[in-house]
Amino acid sequence: MSFTDEADPIISDLPFTSHPKPAKTVTAVLPDEPLIRIRVRKQFSLVEGREIWIHRELLYYLVWRDLKARYKQTILGGSWIILQPLLMTLVFAIFLGRIARVPSDGIAYVPFLFSALLPWTFFSNAVSASSYSLINNAPLLTKVYFPRLLVPAAATLVRLSDFTVSAVVLLVLLIYYHQTLHWTILLAPVLVLQVTLLALGIGMWFSALNAKYRDISTALPVLLQLWMFTTPIVYPASLVPAKWTWLYELNPMVGIIEGFRSALLGVQMNWRSLAISTLVSFILILLSTHAFEKLDEEFADVI
Amino acid sequence: MRPIISVRNLSKRYYIERPLNRNPTFRDAVIETVTSSFLNLGRQQKSLGVPLWALREVNFEVHPGEVVGLIGRNGAGKSTLLKILARVVKPSAGEVDIYGRVGSLLGVGTGFHPDLTGRENILLNGTILGMKTPEIRRKFDEIVDFSEVGQFLDTAVKHYSSGMYLRLAFSIAAHLEPEVMLLDEVLAVGDKPFREKCFAKMKSISRDGRTVFIVSHNLKQIEELCSRVFFVNEGRLYEESDVITTITKYLTHISAYEERTATAS
Repeated sequence: MSFTDEADPIISDLPFTSHPKPAKTVTAVLPDEPLIRIRVRKQFSLVEGREIWIHRELLYYLVWRDLKARYKQTILGGSWIILQPLLMTLVFAIFLGRIARVPSDGIAYVPFLFSALLPWTFFSNAVSASSYSLINNAPLLTKVYFPRLLVPAAATLVRLSDFTVSAVVLLVLLIYYHQTLHWTILLAPVLVLQVTLLALGIGMWFSALNAKYRDISTALPVLLQLWMFTTPIVYPASLVPAKWTWLYELNPMVGIIEGFRSALLGVQMNWRSLAISTLVSFILILLSTHAFEKLDEEFADVI
Repeated sequence: MRPIISVRNLSKRYYIERPLNRNPTFRDAVIETVTSSFLNLGRQQKSLGVPLWALREVNFEVHPGEVVGLIGRNGAGKSTLLKILARVVKPSAGEVDIYGRVGSLLGVGTGFHPDLTGRENILLNGTILGMKTPEIRRKFDEIVDFSEVGQFLDTAVKHYSSGMYLRLAFSIAAHLEPEVMLLDEVLAVGDKPFREKCFAKMKSISRDGRTVFIVSHNLKQIEELCSRVFFVNEGRLYEESDVITTITKYLTHISAYEERTATAS
């Protein structure tokens, strides 16, 4: 009998010796209930929630990894967080504000634009980053177990941290434009929470779809562009004809962006569109969580 | 004694696409995705591929402290079994109960980020593999010593030689302390002295009462490390009375196969 295999140096290097195995007597204390139950059907979401809590440190490290790695090999580094929205504002302010003279409800165009562009940039970046997140982490997903939700969640949190930094610039800009801050600014954190959850919801849905159909990667930039122009960012919502308002406000970003602008600039809050937006966001988040859980079962097979 | 792992009627079915029969357009894909993600039409959509059974009705129990070797030809189902135990892949049928934490090492350097330094990657990779931060900090020096890359700890790992990269990756994984360890052909990394060091480490892990699964084509190592061996063939497990007999069965299987292909050509 020979176990020699020419291809493997270790085998040919070492002489073969047979070791009779002593029967091991290990006195391990096993828990009464299995720590891990693997079943065909997914378990209750409660179990998933516990898993996420167990793996919270990993979420932290995934965010940490992206923040650390992102601006390596760049000259301007972290200042891109501020430069990107500022440059965008400059372009829109020149072409739409100055040249095309888009109305802005009597507010100076730059604060009008910037107060909406900032949350939009966050939303758009978060959705697109999470949409690619599962594919980008494919080697991880096919090798180690952890709740898959953490991957798009980390991508969203990275963008949220960008947003927090650029929000400081927004405040400086508002002061520069002599905007007085109203009590309504206290609503801003609530809106940030809403837009974060919405971005996470849409992002995880797309990330799951993207794992299966790469069409999403191609379609996403177009979709986000379309979404941006159906949201009152570069123009006021008052430009939309009254008979289409009901349809327009079904876009949950309409209420959020308008709300954000009103909260910061102290303009009359459109409570109706905000209420519709909250409801639609809630439904979308529920749907995407469900879709993600369904697709979750086959990630490793299809990615 | 109670088993730490019990596997009952475990099966895994993959679908191989039939590209000729199928020409999905984006519209089809959208419709299919929306319907399948909401309406549970998964079965219908799966009829589009040819089923391939990677595991068929696998049953076994493993007791604490057993070191199980999985041998078999490429595509026999060894890695699929490990992936199911690691919860990376979902089974198509059957159940598994595990009475302990599972650490899986299904690929070396999983989750390493090329732009991060060795130090940063130890933290990141350790967390990915399931260690907690205090545990990583406690073992940090040990990991670095074992890997022998100490002087490059603050260099981005993309500048590492492939050997250094593998050594660091193995060192992190070797310092995991779960009750159940899953290892997929990662024993032989780096140059010969380091491989022998890895092997010695593996031996000490398997001797300290932990339950270990090892997939390897290195029968010499399997024979030396394992207290049980499963021969995996076409998705089924075979276990003979002892390790040597099972390995011999596998070798007989291979030579029979080689004879067949020799006469065929």
